[in-house]
This record gives sequence, structure tokens and C-alpha cells, in this order.
Amino acid sequence: MGDAICGRVSHKFSEFLSDLGGGVILGSTEAAVSALEIIKAASYECGSEFKDFLLRGIPSIVASRPSSQVLGNVLRMYVERFLATASEGGLRSAVEETPVMIDSLIRDLEGVREAVAEIGSRRIEDEDIILTHSYSSTVIKTFEKALARGVRFRVYTTESRPTGEGKVMANKVSSLGVETTLIVDSAVRYVMKHVRKVFVGADAIAINGAVVNKIGTSVVALAAKEARARLFVLAGLYKFSFETVFGELVEQVFLKNLESVVPKERFSELAGKVLVRAPVFDVTPPEYIDAIITEKGVLAPQAIPILVMELYGWPPRIKSLESLLEGVKRL
Amino acid sequence: MTKEYRLPEDVVAIHNGIKDMSIRGAGRIARYVAIALRKAAEGFGGQDVSEFLRYMDYVGAYLRGARPTAVSLPNAVSYVLSRLRRGHLASVDEGKRIAVSAADEFINYANNAVKVIGELGAKRLENGDVVMTHCHSTAAVSVITNAHRMGKVSKVYVKETRPALQGLITAKALADEGLDVTLIPDTAARYYMKKVDKVVVGADTVVANGAVVNKIGTSLLALIAREARVRVYVATETFKFSPYTLLGELVPIEVRDPREIVDEAWLKENHGVKVFNPVFDVTPPEYIDAIITEKGVIPPQASLLILIKEYGVELREFVDQLPPIKEEELRD
Repeated sequence: MGDAICGRVSHKFSEFLSDLGGGVILGSTEAAVSALEIIKAASYECGSEFKDFLLRGIPSIVASRPSSQVLGNVLRMYVERFLATASEGGLRSAVEETPVMIDSLIRDLEGVREAVAEIGSRRIEDEDIILTHSYSSTVIKTFEKALARGVRFRVYTTESRPTGEGKVMANKVSSLGVETTLIVDSAVRYVMKHVRKVFVGADAIAINGAVVNKIGTSVVALAAKEARARLFVLAGLYKFSFETVFGELVEQVFLKNLESVVPKERFSELAGKVLVRAPVFDVTPPEYIDAIITEKGVLAPQAIPILVMELYGWPPRIKSLESLLEGVKRL
Repeated sequence: MTKEYRLPEDVVAIHNGIKDMSIRGAGRIARYVAIALRKAAEGFGGQDVSEFLRYMDYVGAYLRGARPTAVSLPNAVSYVLSRLRRGHLASVDEGKRIAVSAADEFINYANNAVKVIGELGAKRLENGDVVMTHCHSTAAVSVITNAHRMGKVSKVYVKETRPALQGLITAKALADEGLDVTLIPDTAARYYMKKVDKVVVGADTVVANGAVVNKIGTSLLALIAREARVRVYVATETFKFSPYTLLGELVPIEVRDPREIVDEAWLKENHGVKVFNPVFDVTPPEYIDAIITEKGVIPPQASLLILIKEYGVELREFVDQLPPIKEEELRD
């Protein structure tokens, strides 16, 4: 995929794509930041080929993680700024200003995450027992801020099969100095009796307030609801799926590498007989979510459309990435 | 009772096999316990009847200690030992004969029970049903394969069942019977539940109020099924019903080694992280549509019926041993 792309970043680029598709880059925000960094590097290296890099590179970035709303939204923000600069000062100045644009975009994302974590941390109280699923840097940041305020709490992390990033989460949370307990995903209902609050991140938020996140999140939410534990989703608005306003469904992705589901040495037992399916995301319905914590405040999931209207008008005036790239082509 | 006996190698091997889970599944554990008792009886050297009985009690207690949760284990022990005790033995040879025939009787009964459960359970499934199951249960597999032979089951989703991945055993067993099997990670159960018609699982222990103790994740699966209005059936032999719970005892939930979940290297690197590995959980009776036993299909709340029918006599013996309650204590 990357070989036709401007020579000097082509190797780095194809490596990045495979990390992205293979799930090496864990969080969706981290993936978006890495995508921006690689565009920044390309703006230095590609010179006159940069326009071509954008036209080919951006669609292939999006294609390697089709479910990531963040990636699409963040790339759109960048291309919007790129086009605006180009229409004033021409293509060349847009290329030259790309590093500045990207640094400021990354700063904005950081700011959003800071705000989300700041607000989220206020929902953590002394003696809380918290459960979290999968890996989320925003959740980690939220814990950090609660700790800084002197709040003491304990955390359960789920293994988060099949990819197992819950183990990374356990490591990170524990190294903050929080008492951390790792459990298998199946033990969620067993421990939920003791859990007061559940904090999870999100890959995307749909217009009805449903949250798309790593597979198993909706199971955790159901178990929380049954046990009357509160469920908070920490998500900046850059995770909002504008497409869902127009009736699009968020696309499911299936794991291609099934070694994490069936250990290699047991493949032969099942080969040719048993189908193995590993969906990567699931959808948690809004009625299982107590609040979505955004940079604009704590919201009922059903209030998401109101916030979107306030910020972007109704229906939201958002151009698709495709039409923005058409604009780049015409430059 | 404190005396230690030298036990036949086979008995020790079975005890250790149950402990390290190379012998697993409540039904299989019960059958192996019966075999161990038979071997123990056969291996007894002396001629003193009361010494023989003490020895068999010792073996019973030794086997009971192999794993705490599955009640099939003490029930299998009771099945054999109660027949010995009722025997009014004239000689050790007679005792051996009774122990061997009781053990064989139990094994036959257990094997036959799985077959009957399969036949009864298959009637609860309907044409075109999509089934989901968890862990590995011989009784549940029997229900699903019987229904499949009647042309009823169109597809089975098998959960992997972390940490020990018993789902892989079930997936293979069902696929070998010609079923259309899809293996999924535990986290994907709710994602696929929309497409499922019936959940069929086994049990480790059924308690007095009809709650079912089974492999960790069963209660979560039952909750997910309930949310989607999918029926949940538990397939189990009656020797997994716990008479002890009728006397107010709680079922101890076994917590196993963290290394079943993460490896040694990970534990070293993350010594600050606790790893909690409970093996079983409790599914409340209201999440279970029916328990399918070899004695018939019952609502879980009627578990008392099985307990009275199967353990009535012995229960009275248990209750008689309890200290009488004084009136003053009741008023306190």
C-alpha cells in the first residue's frame, strides 16, 4: 500500500499502517496522534509530492482502522485547516505550515483529554471500587487526577479478551500506586457486587448516545446495571460519529489474526472444523450509561444531539473527508 | 481418625488429577472418585472390619479434600460409603464386595444419566435453534448432540471460557458430531446473543434454592441471555445437587492460581497487580428457565424436590446430629 507513497516516508508509513491495523497502537486517540505525526514527518520530507501523499495516504490510514471515529474526525480537522491555509496563501504555504497546524491540533486533543479527565476525576470518591475494561489513556489520566487530589480508590481491570490489552491497563494503573486487581472477563459479574463505578473510554459515540467501544464493554455495562453500579464513559467530542446522524451504522471489524483467540499449539485440533469469530467492538446502549463525560461537561447520553447542535448546528455542518480530499485534489 | 494410611498409587493419582484439574468436570470427577474408592477397597490389606471402615472413611475424606466446590465429589463418596455403613459387615471381604459393587453401580448410573439428560433436554430444543454454551459439560454436550441428531440445531456458539479454555474441548466435541460450531471470545457473548435461541450449560453444584454454581462466566452468560429473552437450560445429574446447602451451608468458591491467567514473567514484572481467579460463580434461580436432570426437567426453585427424594434419609441423619436449639437462644 505504502510503496507508491512519497519515497522517503514510504517505509515508515507502511510500518505505521500495519501497527494501526494490527492493534499495536492501543487507544484510538493514540492512533490519531500517531497519524498526525506521520503526516507532519511527510510534510518535511515529501516536498512537491506532499499533496499526492495526502490524497493516497489519508484514505489508506482510515481504511486500516475503519471503526475508528477518532481517526476520521482528527484527519478531517487537519484537512480542513490545510485547505483553509491553502486558499489564503497557496498550496506551498499550507505544506510549510502543516507542522504548526499539527502541533496545535495535538495540543487541542491533549487539552480535550485533560478537560475530560479533570471532570471525570471529580466523579471518583474516597473508598470507591472502580472497574474498567480494555485500555484507555483517558481513563488512566482520570485516575491520575483523582489521585493528585488525594482521593483513595481501588481498581479492577478486566483482561479484555481476545487482544488482552487489559493487562497493559493493569500495569499502568498499578504503577500509579493504585491497588489494582486483574480478572478474566468472565468474572465481571462475580466482582460487580463490590464495584461502585465503572469507567470506560470510547471509540465512537453515536447520535443516540450509544457508545462503541472494545468488545465486552456492553457486557460490563449490563452487569453494572444489574448490580446498580454507575457507568461513566470518558470521551471527548472528537469521538462523535457525525455519520450516524445520517443513519449510517458504525462498521464492525473482525480480528484477522486469530492466534490470540486459539493458542497456536491448539490450532490443529479445530482446524477445518470450527469457525472462529472475534468481533473487535460492541455497542453499549444509552440506557446502560449513567453519563458521558465530555470536555463540555457531564452529559446524559440522550443529550448528545443537543450538544452537537450547539456546536455544529443542526443538521451538523460537517464536510466528509472524501469531499475535503476532493478539495485538496483541486489545489 | 487421625491415623494415616498408605494409599494405593491409583487413589493418589486420581486425587492429584482432580486437584491439578487434569481430571475435570463435575461428572467426571464423581466417576473417578467412585473408581478411586473401588481401588482403595481392593487394595486394603487387613482383616479387621472396623479398621477397614476407618480406612475407607479416611480415603473418603482424602478424596473430598481434592477440590472444594463440586458437590458431586462428596456425593459420590457418600454414595459408596453410606452403602458400606448400612451393610453390617461380617468380614472385610464382604465390605470390599459392597464397595466395589456400589462404585460400579454409581459409575453405571452416572453414564446412563448423561444419556437420559441428553434425551430429555433435546425435547426442549426446537427446529432451527441456535444454541450458545459455555465451558465443557458432558451433559450439555449430550443435550445439544441429541437435538442435533433430531435435526433441530442449526448452529452452536461456543464461548472460549477463559482462563482454562475448556470451550475449545466443547467446540471440538460438537464439531466431531457434525454440528456447525463457531468459537467466540467470552467478551463477544452479548454481541452474538441476539442471534441465539437457547443457552445450554452444565452445572458444578445445584444448591437448595435452585441457584447453580458453575464455571466462572456462567452467571454473566445467563444475565446476557435474560436481557435478550433467550431461554437458559442447565443440564445436570442429580448427584450435583448439594444436600449440605439445605442445612444452611454456603458453597465455597474455589480461587485458583493467578498463573492460570498470566504467566510467571508477567507476575514478576507486575508484582503490584493482584490477579483474582475465582473458578466458579453462582447463577440465581430466576435466570434459569429449567434444570434438566435424569429424573426429569424441573424449575430451579423445585430443587428441594430432588434433595428430598435423593437425600431425604441422609438429611434426617444430618439434622439429628445438629445440637438442639434452646428456646432462650431463639428469643435472643
